Parts: sequence; C-alpha cells; structure tokens
Amino acid sequence: MLLTLLLIPTLTALAIMLRPARHAAIIAFIGSMVALVWACLVWNAFDFADSASIQLAASWTWIEPMGLSFSLGVDSVSLMLVMLTALLIPLSVLGSWTAITERVREFFLWLIILEIAMLAVFMARDLLVFYLAFEFTLVPMFFLIAVYGSTNRARASIIFFLYTFTGSIITLVGLLYIAWLQWSHTGHWTFDIATLTATAASMTASQQAWVLLALCCGFAVKVPLFPVHTWLPLAHTEAPTAGSVILAAVLLKLGTYGLYRFAMPMCPVAFNEYAPLIATLCIIGIIYAALVCWVQRDVKRLIAYSSVSHLGFCVLGLAAINTTGVSGSIMYMINHGLSTGALFLCIGMVYERYHTRSMDELGGMARRMPVWTFFTVFFVMSSVGLPGLNGFVGEFLTIFGAFTSGQPLQGLPTTGPLGPWYAAFAGTGMILAAIYLLYFTGHLVFGQYHVPDASRGGGHDHAHHHRLPRDLSLREVVVLTPLAILCVWLGVQPDAILSRIEAPVNQVIAAVETASSQPLAAIMTEDGEGH
Amino acid sequence: MMSLLAQFDLTPMLSLASEETATRAIGSWAGWIPLFPLIAAIACGVLAYRPSGAKSKRAGLICIIGLGLAFVVSILLALNIGHGQGHVTLFEWIRTDHLKADFAFFLDPLTSIMLIVVTGIGTLVAVYASEYMWGDRGYARFFAFVSLFIVAMTCLVLADNLILMYLGWEGVGLCSYLLIGFYYEKPAAVAAAKKAFIVNRIGDLGFALGIMLTYLQFGSVEFAVIFKQIEAWQASGAEISTAVQTIPFLLMLGAFGKSAQLPLYVWLPDAMEGPTPVSALIHAATMVTAGVYLIARMLPLFLLSPYALPTVAWVGCITALFSATIGMAQYDIKRIFAYSTVSQLGYMFMGLGVLSSVGGTFHLFTHAFFKAALFLGSGAVMHGFAGQLDLRKLSGLWRVPGWQIVTASMFVACLALAGFPLTAGFFSKDMILAQAFVTPGPGFEAIGWIGLITAGMTAYYTFRVFFRVFMGPVSFKPGDDHHGAHDDHHFHPHAPGPAINFVLIVLGLGAIFAGWLGVGGASHGWFGGMVHASSANYEAVHETTHEAGFFSNPHQWMMLASSIIGILGIAIAAYLHLLNRPAAERWRQAILPVARLAEHKWCVDEGYDLLIRRPLRAVGHICYALGDTLIINGLVALAGWIPRLIGAAVRPLQNGRLQGYGLGMAGGAAMLLIIVWWML
Repeated sequence: MLLTLLLIPTLTALAIMLRPARHAAIIAFIGSMVALVWACLVWNAFDFADSASIQLAASWTWIEPMGLSFSLGVDSVSLMLVMLTALLIPLSVLGSWTAITERVREFFLWLIILEIAMLAVFMARDLLVFYLAFEFTLVPMFFLIAVYGSTNRARASIIFFLYTFTGSIITLVGLLYIAWLQWSHTGHWTFDIATLTATAASMTASQQAWVLLALCCGFAVKVPLFPVHTWLPLAHTEAPTAGSVILAAVLLKLGTYGLYRFAMPMCPVAFNEYAPLIATLCIIGIIYAALVCWVQRDVKRLIAYSSVSHLGFCVLGLAAINTTGVSGSIMYMINHGLSTGALFLCIGMVYERYHTRSMDELGGMARRMPVWTFFTVFFVMSSVGLPGLNGFVGEFLTIFGAFTSGQPLQGLPTTGPLGPWYAAFAGTGMILAAIYLLYFTGHLVFGQYHVPDASRGGGHDHAHHHRLPRDLSLREVVVLTPLAILCVWLGVQPDAILSRIEAPVNQVIAAVETASSQPLAAIMTEDGEGH
Repeated sequence: MMSLLAQFDLTPMLSLASEETATRAIGSWAGWIPLFPLIAAIACGVLAYRPSGAKSKRAGLICIIGLGLAFVVSILLALNIGHGQGHVTLFEWIRTDHLKADFAFFLDPLTSIMLIVVTGIGTLVAVYASEYMWGDRGYARFFAFVSLFIVAMTCLVLADNLILMYLGWEGVGLCSYLLIGFYYEKPAAVAAAKKAFIVNRIGDLGFALGIMLTYLQFGSVEFAVIFKQIEAWQASGAEISTAVQTIPFLLMLGAFGKSAQLPLYVWLPDAMEGPTPVSALIHAATMVTAGVYLIARMLPLFLLSPYALPTVAWVGCITALFSATIGMAQYDIKRIFAYSTVSQLGYMFMGLGVLSSVGGTFHLFTHAFFKAALFLGSGAVMHGFAGQLDLRKLSGLWRVPGWQIVTASMFVACLALAGFPLTAGFFSKDMILAQAFVTPGPGFEAIGWIGLITAGMTAYYTFRVFFRVFMGPVSFKPGDDHHGAHDDHHFHPHAPGPAINFVLIVLGLGAIFAGWLGVGGASHGWFGGMVHASSANYEAVHETTHEAGFFSNPHQWMMLASSIIGILGIAIAAYLHLLNRPAAERWRQAILPVARLAEHKWCVDEGYDLLIRRPLRAVGHICYALGDTLIINGLVALAGWIPRLIGAAVRPLQNGRLQGYGLGMAGGAAMLLIIVWWML
C-alpha cells in the first residue's frame, strides 16, 4: 500500500519525462492528485485504534550483508505528515500553473521527485532509507531554487545546499555510530529504526549527549533553529513560489520530525537533560526572528523569518516532553504547513502579477484584489494564532506544554524539564507575531493602493502576465480554498488530529521519561563497554 | 485583608452541581444565540463578494434579523434561567492529556444580563447602521464583520471554560481590528487597527498565561470545576498558595488590555477611526466591557488573593481620573466620548475592586445604553455634517430642522453620563462610590473621593460637548467629507432618517429608565438579585450598615453628594460653554501649559513610541544587520570559501561553482570515514 504511494509519483515523473513539455503540468497535477487520493485510502486503511504501532508495513531486502532493507511503515504521526505532503504537492502544481514559463518539464519533474523523497522520509522504517531520502530532498530543491529562483538564486541555492548538507553529514555520523554500536553488540548489521532506537536508548548519558549533538546538527539546521537559520530567509526569498511553499510546509518539518522520531527516543536521557538548552535556543529564535521580521521590506523574506520564529514554538513543544507540548508540536507542524504554505501562495500570486516583493513598491492591494485580500488576511490570522483557526491550537498547546512541563499538577508530578518562565518568554512571540504580521498586512494589503509602474503600463514582456485577471482567477481560488477549509476545520475540530496522535506521542514521552528517571548508575553498568 | 476575605460567604453561588440536574433543560437552545449571527455573518460575507451588486444592500436586513433573533433567544433564555444555572455542551473542542476545553456554555444570571446587552445593543446598532452605512462601498462587508463580532462576543460571554472565553476574546479582537481598519485606505485607520490588536495582544499574553496557571492549580479550565475547588478550599480553610494568588494578576492584564485601562488604554481613543456604529457597539457598549465581565465571572478566584481586588480598584480609579483629565481637553466629540469610555470602564473596575460587583456590572449595563446613545448621536452629527466632529465648529444644532430627536436623546444620555439624579448613570455610579466608603480596604476611601471628583469632571466634559454643539447660536462648518463647491454657505446638513431616530429614541429611553432596574440597592433591586445569583456574588458586608444614620450610611449621603457634584459640573460647563464662551478660552490661557499637555493626551503615546516601539525596532534592525547579515552569514561565507580556496590551491586550472562543494563533500565523506574508523 505504501509502496504504491511512492510508485504513483514515480510513474508520474516518468510520464512527465516521456511526454512533451506542454503536458507536464497537467500530468504532474493528475499524478499528484492520484497520490493524494491514494494517501486518503492509506488514511482509511490505517487503524487509529492502534495508532502508536507501525502499520501497513512492507519490507524488501536490499543489501543483505549490510542489513539494509527497503522497509516502509507509518504510525499516525508519520501519516499526518504524509497527508500534508500529499495535499500540498497538487496545490503547488496548480499554483505554479502559469508562473513557470521556461523549462516547464524539468520544473514539474523536480517537484514530483521532491514528493517522492518527502513521502519516503516520512514512511521510512529503515535508517538508511530515511537518511537517503532526507538527503535526496536537497537535490530537487537545489534545482528548483537554482533554476527557477529570482535574481540571487545561485547564491541562495548554494548556501542552502552547503548549509543543510554539512549539517546532515554530521547527523549521518551520529546515526552510523548507533548502527555500529548495534553491530558491536550483536555482530550483525541492521538499520531497522525500531531496533536501533532500542539500542541507542541504552547508551550512557555522555554517549547520548554526543549522538544528540550529532543528530541536532542536521535536524536543527533543517528546522531551522537559531543560530543556524540564516540559510532559510535567503532560500525562501529566492525560491519560486512552489519551492517556498514546499520548503516551508514540508521540508522544515523534516527537521522537527527528525527530532521527534530520532533525537527524542534515541537519546532520551540527553534530550531530557539538554531540553532546557534547546528550549532556550527556541525562545531566542522566536524573539530574534520576530524582531527581524518587523524590519523587513521584502514580503517573502518577512514570511521566511516568521517561519524561523514559528518553528521555534514547534521545537519548544517537543522540548516540553509532555503530552500537551509534543501533541501541540505535531499540530504545529501541520498548521504551519497549511498557513505558511498558503501565505507563500498568496504572495506568489501577487508576485506573478507585479513582479516585485518589496513593500515599498506594493501596497493597498485590498482595493484591487478583494478576494485575494480575504484569503491573505485569513491566513495571516491563522498564522497569528487566532482561536477558532488552526494556528491557535498548535501555538497554545506548545506554550501550554512548556508552561506545565515538570510542574506539579494538583500535587501530582508531571513530566518535562521546562516551566512557566519558558512559556512566559515564548509567549512574547505571540505579541511579536501580531506586530510583524499586521505590519505586513498593514503595508501590503491595506493602505494606499500602489503598484510598480511597469506592470500598470502593461509594457511587461511576460506574455502570461496578461492572462491573469486583476483579482484571483478561479484556479487560484481553488488552490487556496482547501487550505482555508482545513484551517477552519482543524481550528474547530483539532481533536481530529490530537486524539489520533496521542498514543504514539505518549509512547515517545514514556520512553524519554523512563530512561531519564532511571538512576544513571544502572545505565552505566548495563552498558559499560560503550566507550 | 485576610480577615476581609473571610467575611464573604461564597457558598450560595457555588452550589452548581446540585442545581445542574434540575436545570439541564435550560441551556439546550442557547447554541442558537451565536448561531443566528453566524448564519448572518456568512450570508453577508457572501454578499460582500460583489460589493457593487444590488443584492449586497440586503446585508443590513440580514444582519438585523440575525442579531434580532439572537436577542429574542437571549431574552427567552434570561426568563428561563431566572436565578438558576445551566450548562450545555455543543461539541468537544480541545482535549489532550487532562486538558479539556469543550465548546460548552455556562449559563447563569450574569450570562443572561451580558447577553441581553450584547445582542440588544447589537440589534439596535445594526438598525442604525443600515441607514448610516447606506451607500458605503463596504456595506455588506460591514455587516458581515458586525455579525461575526456578535458571534465572538456571545461565545466570550457564554463560555464555560477559560479557553473558549479566550476564543471569544481574540475573536472580538479580530472583529475590532477589521472594523477599526474598515476604511482601509486611510493610513490612520490602518495604524489604529494595528495598534488596537497589538496592545490587546499584550494583555492577552497575561490572560493566556493565567489560563495555564489556572490549569496547573485547578487541573481544569472549566468554571464549574474551579468554583467547586475554591469552595472546597474555603470550607477546609486551606492555605492559598502563592501560585493561585498569582492567577488573578495574570487575568487582570488581559482585562486591562481589552477594557482599555492603564497602562494599556492607548488603543481605544485611536479606535475611533472606525465607523461610528462600531465605536458605539464595540468600543463603548460591549467588547470593552469584556474585561469587567472576566473579573466579575472569576470573582471567587480574585477573592483568593488579598491584593488582587484592591489592585483592580486602584487601577480603575486612576484610569478614571486620568482619562477624564484628557477628555476635558479634547475637541473631537468622538475622542471625548472615547476617553469618557475609558474613564467609565475605570468606574466599573473600581466597583468590582471595592466589592460592589452589583455596582460594577450595573454600571456596565447602564453605560451600554447611554454611551451607545452618545456615540450614535455623535455619529448622526458626523454623518449629517460631512464628517465634522470638532466641537468648536458646530453650534446650536437643536435649532437646525430635523435635529431635535438627536438633541433630545443626546441630552438625556449626557445627563445619564453626568450622573444627574434619577438617570441611569446616577444609580449605578452611586452604588460604586458609596461602596468604596463601606468596604474596608487599602485606601478605598481615597478611591471614593477620587471617584467623586471624577464624577464632577465627567459632568463637565459631557456638557461641554452638549452646550457647545447643540446649544447656543446656530453655526456650523462641514467636515472634510464635504465634496461640494467648498462653499460653506451652500452646505445643507443631512438630517438623520427614521432608522437613526428610532434607535436614538430607544437608547434615550434606556438612558433614563435602565437605572430603575437597580433601584432598591444591591440587595433588593432586580439587578442586584440577578448578580447575587451568579458567580459575581459577594456582597455581604454593606447590609450591616443600613441601620445607621444618614451621614454614616454612604449609600444614602452619596446620592446627595454625587448629585451636587454632578450639577456643579454641569453648571460650570453651562457657564463656560453656553453663557460665556469667551471665558473658556481665557481659562484655558490661564493654565496653558497644563491644558496643552492634556490636549496632547499627556504625551503617553509619544512616550510609548520612544521607550518601547523604537528601541524594539532598533533591536530588530541590529539583529538583522549585525546578527544575520554580518556575523552569521559572514561565518557561513567564510566556511564556504575554505573548500574553494583549497580547491583553487589543488586544481588551479579548473574553476566552477560546484567544484568547491564537490570537494567539500569529498572532504566530509573522508572525515566521516576517519571518524568511523577511529570508533572501530
């Protein structure tokens, strides 16, 4: 079942290669829609009563002596992210319908290849499959930025590649170390994630700390956490709309997913110990990036920095190590994907019309583009964390998790290493988010209407420009509407996700808790020869 | 103070559980109250899709019907609830771990009073706006926002837990933002909208943290559970922990933000950039009272800390005085009433703080009528005189044909605001001020005196407006919206039509008679009875003082004292602004430096800008320029150059962008192998 989900985009990619370029977009759209439908079937086949265990598993031996197998499987958390990916790809394809005029075939090909890689990351049950897919996402993204980006694309794509590649090489070292540890225990190689997680969790505290550091190198860059976030604004600003959407909505989640799936269960003691440090970095990032947002004149860079700020909340929830925080964090991954993805789409629609992202050149779009205004303000509100929309649930629960983390609840001890002060400082991000996002809407959406002269005069050489109506076309409305509906639905019925992810989340928390509450001496003797 | 705490008997309102079974049927249709406006909001939103279409004109009627139905249901609910309590769950909302926040309603008399105010004033304002907004491009959009506001506000009022209340709280904030910025091409409106949202957010952070701390201490965010726990603590005489005592202070922050108290009041005067019906509905009668409602609702919790309510009282008192001084010096009619709203909200907090919850909520109730009347009256003036709001440029309107109803309703509402005997504001204000002299507390007597002085100032600035604008010789200049031949002689004021007049009559009647609902005092009146049956019940002390003589019973002498003060204020206003207008300017010259400062609102906005906004933005610039661009990117660029330099050294003949990175990859892989080998 899951293999089919990978095969559908693969076949789509093949078809794009074989058919003429003018068919590329339609093939990509149909293919990704089929994948979405199939993902829904997977959702349907998934037994949520047993959401903590890996389901729909399939495994094929790959390189036997190395213990490599191509194995897939999902638990409910992975499934949520699979759904997010499957949803956003067709929307991105549809959103790029008229924006791409040159090398169209390659564009959609890379987009579909990116889908394969991302789906594989979330479905992988084998460490090397995970890692290969994780790294492989860089390639299509690199080309999407380098070929289809705007003026500064070469530098952006190289920095993006260099940054994330360097980080993830170190992650690989950490992962390989665990595999080697397993080999030294048992004498045969395996890369099965479940087995390795069990092995890793029995490391000494200092070993865990080193492995955690190695894992964080790659994942923190991907998230991105302060201070390794600087690749993101550049990449986002230069990437084409679809690239920004996928980057914000899914690729950043690879980092948080990696932290959740590997860093937490594999290094429970170290994660528990260093969670305050991670949380502090998150809080610095939340405030720092928010303040930086506030002084941007480039709308895309502003939203890019807002991702840095928002993802800080996401990791903060993980660092809270309690059900509320971690569930909130996973909610946040999905919500951020929907609302920030949608905001990038909105900005892309304006960019396609006026070919500028500068707030100095654009303003007061409300008068000319009321439908666009509705959607933009809607997604801004979702992003600000307005209750009733999806953004609130994630944000509130992550802060809530940080606040209640480790605090006695009616006299009973609770899990987690943080406390109210973390929440109070992170909470200032709520105020700052309002400041920079309303600064954004105040300039771009409201105020006096002004656009660059060139596009008003009609003397622009982009032929496709004239095909776009002043306000959103039906196609563009179709792109944004599903996201808006999901934003409302998840805001009103967050339980649809929360109740489904509670079991796996609790499992991870229990793993962290039991490991870190054991006396350290016991771990030391259990695994004395580790060094 | 702890002894003070012990005097209050919390038991009558806390027996929710026993009554719940008997009153289960009550709430079953409360869900319709937000639902009708929601349907209206969606319908108006659909109509707003084509603003120029003829159908969009139907939005007004749809909104009136939606809000009117909600009002009818609210009345029925109030009759059904009586002094009882009810609970209804619509659907499950957020549930994780032990946290449970459902979409559920908590119904008690306080809820029903608030609902009647919100939906009643809401309906009247919708009727008014159907005429006032006619011809505006955003006609349907306006009614969509107003309906949405009522949805959020009723959710806020009906919520059975703090998180749902927070939803309504932020929802009304959104609608306030959208409506202040309704004329989105006006930079001042956009800036004011942004300011309102952000300043409110500062308070909301306190509210949010308060919710979290409540959850930690009570294990729940539901009112019923919290009240039951407090009751248990009261019964066992348990020590109240510092953490529990901190909660009221956090919630207070939220209340001060939403209800525009010091130091977060700055957004409300600017909010007058919105259409006037919005100023009346949201920024005078309903939304800004949400903070008062929050404290009234959570009163048992506030009583757990000996410092919480005195803090509320003092903040309210200082705000009342402070904004009254600004109100006395402004020239824009709407701004004067905005500062007056801030001041009157201060009275409400004062009332809650000095343990007159009936007074506080009753003032909320009466204020809704007369302040809505004042704003809608000003709106009629603004509408008729092409946006003119400067009281120096308007005079003698009651002699202008067609303006008699406006004048009459303004007069009555001004009397009520000034606390003239037997008007609505008189009863409610007295209840608060008298209680300040009854309740023992830190400086409560001083609060009473300050409140009394402020009442005199209120009477003065209110009638300053009335005598300037409506009395005296007829003279007027049209405002900026007048696009005629720029010849003032050809300007004909546009007299209000039947819808506006009807609403003004209803509100004028309310400004007189709403006060009678509270006659009989906190203990015997209808209103007092309602509040006593709700969670805001805690008046137990003042009963004992009734038997004493006239001068030792503040509830009796206060009526006289405040009447005298009020009439004195009106008299001064009459002298300076009706009988001898040049004298006003002479008086102003005499205290020019102070007058200037007050006209500039004591420069609070400038201070905030200088001390908070600019430094923060500077930090943002520094972070971006120094942190991101220079240091971090510089390091990265340096790291990126190293492999390139090596590449250049090793293979000087070849150059290409990716070469360096290829080498970097190779180098990395080699390093990896070395590490793995070393580990083996």
